[in-house]
Amino acid sequence: MSISTRFWGFFGRNSAKPETDARCAGLGILVAFLAPALLFYAGFAIYPVIRTIYNSFHAIKPHGVVEFVGVSNFTTLLFADATFWKAVGNTALFTIVATILDVFGGLLLALCLFARAPFAGLLRVVWFTPVLMSYVVVGVIWVWIYDYDWGLANAILRWLGLGAFEQSWLGHPSTALWSVLGAHVWKWLGFNMIVFLAALYALPGEVLGAAELDNCGWVAKLVYIIVPMLRATIVNLLVLSFIGKMMVFDLIWIMTGGGPLWSTETVSTYVYKRAFEWNTFDLGYPSAIAVLWFVIILAFIAVMTQLLRQRDKLEF
Amino acid sequence: MHASFAMRCAAALGLVASAFIGGAATRATAQDVTLEVWSHEADEPAKVAFRELAAKNLEKSRPGVKVKITWYEKNPLFAALKTALPAGKGPDVFYLEPDQVEYITAGYIIPLDDLVNWNNIEPWARKVWTHNGKTYGIPQEAYTNELFYNKDQLKQLGVTLPANGQLTQAQFLDLIKKARAANVTPVSQGVGDRPYPGAYIVGEALLRKLGPDDYQKLFTGKLTFADPRVVEVLKWVKELVEAGAYPKNFMTLKLGESHYYFYSKPGSVMLPMGSWYTGRAFVPEEKGGQPANFPIGIMQYPAMDGAACNDCKTSAIGASFAINAASKQKELAAAFLNAMSTPEMGKMWIETVYLQTGIKADVKNFTGPHAAYFTELMDRQKGAKYFIGSPRDMVTGECKDTFIQVLNSGFPGGLLTVDQAVQMMNKSCYKG
Repeated sequence: MSISTRFWGFFGRNSAKPETDARCAGLGILVAFLAPALLFYAGFAIYPVIRTIYNSFHAIKPHGVVEFVGVSNFTTLLFADATFWKAVGNTALFTIVATILDVFGGLLLALCLFARAPFAGLLRVVWFTPVLMSYVVVGVIWVWIYDYDWGLANAILRWLGLGAFEQSWLGHPSTALWSVLGAHVWKWLGFNMIVFLAALYALPGEVLGAAELDNCGWVAKLVYIIVPMLRATIVNLLVLSFIGKMMVFDLIWIMTGGGPLWSTETVSTYVYKRAFEWNTFDLGYPSAIAVLWFVIILAFIAVMTQLLRQRDKLEF
Repeated sequence: MHASFAMRCAAALGLVASAFIGGAATRATAQDVTLEVWSHEADEPAKVAFRELAAKNLEKSRPGVKVKITWYEKNPLFAALKTALPAGKGPDVFYLEPDQVEYITAGYIIPLDDLVNWNNIEPWARKVWTHNGKTYGIPQEAYTNELFYNKDQLKQLGVTLPANGQLTQAQFLDLIKKARAANVTPVSQGVGDRPYPGAYIVGEALLRKLGPDDYQKLFTGKLTFADPRVVEVLKWVKELVEAGAYPKNFMTLKLGESHYYFYSKPGSVMLPMGSWYTGRAFVPEEKGGQPANFPIGIMQYPAMDGAACNDCKTSAIGASFAINAASKQKELAAAFLNAMSTPEMGKMWIETVYLQTGIKADVKNFTGPHAAYFTELMDRQKGAKYFIGSPRDMVTGECKDTFIQVLNSGFPGGLLTVDQAVQMMNKSCYKG
């Protein structure tokens, strides 16, 4: 018996013909192929989650010393941490508004391209390009756009004779969050547009054709045919967008660092500050924030999918 | 046949293994002790050259030693340290600043009292790093808080400084108003990427008004921000803000941009900054430095009415280096710290970085293109009573966060009233 035969004999059920049917692979083969991915996943996803949950019930002291503190991190967080609640409010506002703008803005852009607007090819590239940029680049660009003295936003206002409305867009609590939100939406609109565009082209042509034969107008076609048929795509994008925005960090960190006066502080930036900028090595409290936020996101996702679930299967 | 195959495999493996082991052994004997150093300030060529030279000097004096310096930006450096050190990893030597006392309380850096040659370090600088009788950092960069100004601009505004370079608080407010009336930004300052520049003026004013003891009490939670003297200072700063002292893009202007704003476009009358400003400004103009003929001057921060100490000014230690408690080469790490701290290196620091240092250096005559500047800087130190440490060295945790948001940005940014600022600072900082 050759070395090769014996090797496959150990790993496969059918030692003579290991290549015949992958579904007949033995446990050894399955373990060999799955182990690297599973180990990677366990090491970089599951372990950190478990460790964060563990840390949230402990005070982490230097040199690996941990002290069990029960739920005290959570009670402090819930009842004595005003900054946390400010961050929750900002994150909620940011998430809701940005999700709606992202998803429905993306749908509008996709419809525009689907309807073969002039320069559709060029517009598709222009609208999608921001998706390819990193948050750092987007942040730096928009900080410049919003600059009071030499920024494009105020320059346009002055050019239009609306100089009275010029602002320190990122420097005032009443405009900072909305300004960051604008930059975020600008970055992600194109992604949703492409997904919707793919879904629109996948719609059955005969249904849309039948609607046109029945003299169905554009609005009616959109409301009664296209949107219902895109429901699954809309729900998926809403959920994905919602999750992403609940964890927003990069753009805010680059553009405002959570200021001015905590007006753009989000839960993620607050976790980072508590972990790395508060003159402490204790990761227990920041972990508690992360765990609580994880539970809240999970609950929202469950509620959203339940509410938006497709109850009747569409037939076409 | 099977046996011979197995033997051949074993022999092959043996050969491969011996090749690796042999190679490693050869390398180990020929070299190689590597000292890992993590440093900030990669964007300041003079400081990079200084530290690289110290590394080369150590490598020369100790054959077989290699010093590997990894350059970071400040925030990524501290984020990396905060994850590496608890895991028992990290470099042998790293950059640190005196406000980061958590490294001491956590035991991640070791006392240097018996490792470093302290004869080469100024005692007052050593004191900044002394906690409970032990010294934890080697103070390399020292600086004073200065108020730089454009001599030509001041002349154009018709303002003449007194001999001691110190205006009264009323004269200073008048200067701000004159500059605004002339459509010139009075003070170039921004808090877009740093947690402290916005507090220079209010901090120095508080130090003079309260004197060192009460000033320290204020930022360590033992004196209320509602103290009438503090409120008076805040009211004066509020007047400056309302007179348009700061640029309109104060909240987003970054540190480097505020320097450029001062000496280039659009230009401002004054720039409150640590004296380390010149480490960035005295690089060639094509690399972003100030023009060679820029008429830079230094004035004192204003004298406050009814002040306890108008001669007081802040001196602080910036760039410092510490040794990782987990380092297996502490003696070698200390040798690197010593290599950076010889009198010759101290002289080089002053002559190339144009900045004070905690290293003892015998520099009596300044030479080079910026000699006049350095002479003026030294003149401004005459008669000064130093308070060692800045507010951010004294505040921690929630108080630090509030200091950054309120005294550094919100209040000088015109977003808060005096009462709001007092209330917010007291809520987070005052322990009385």
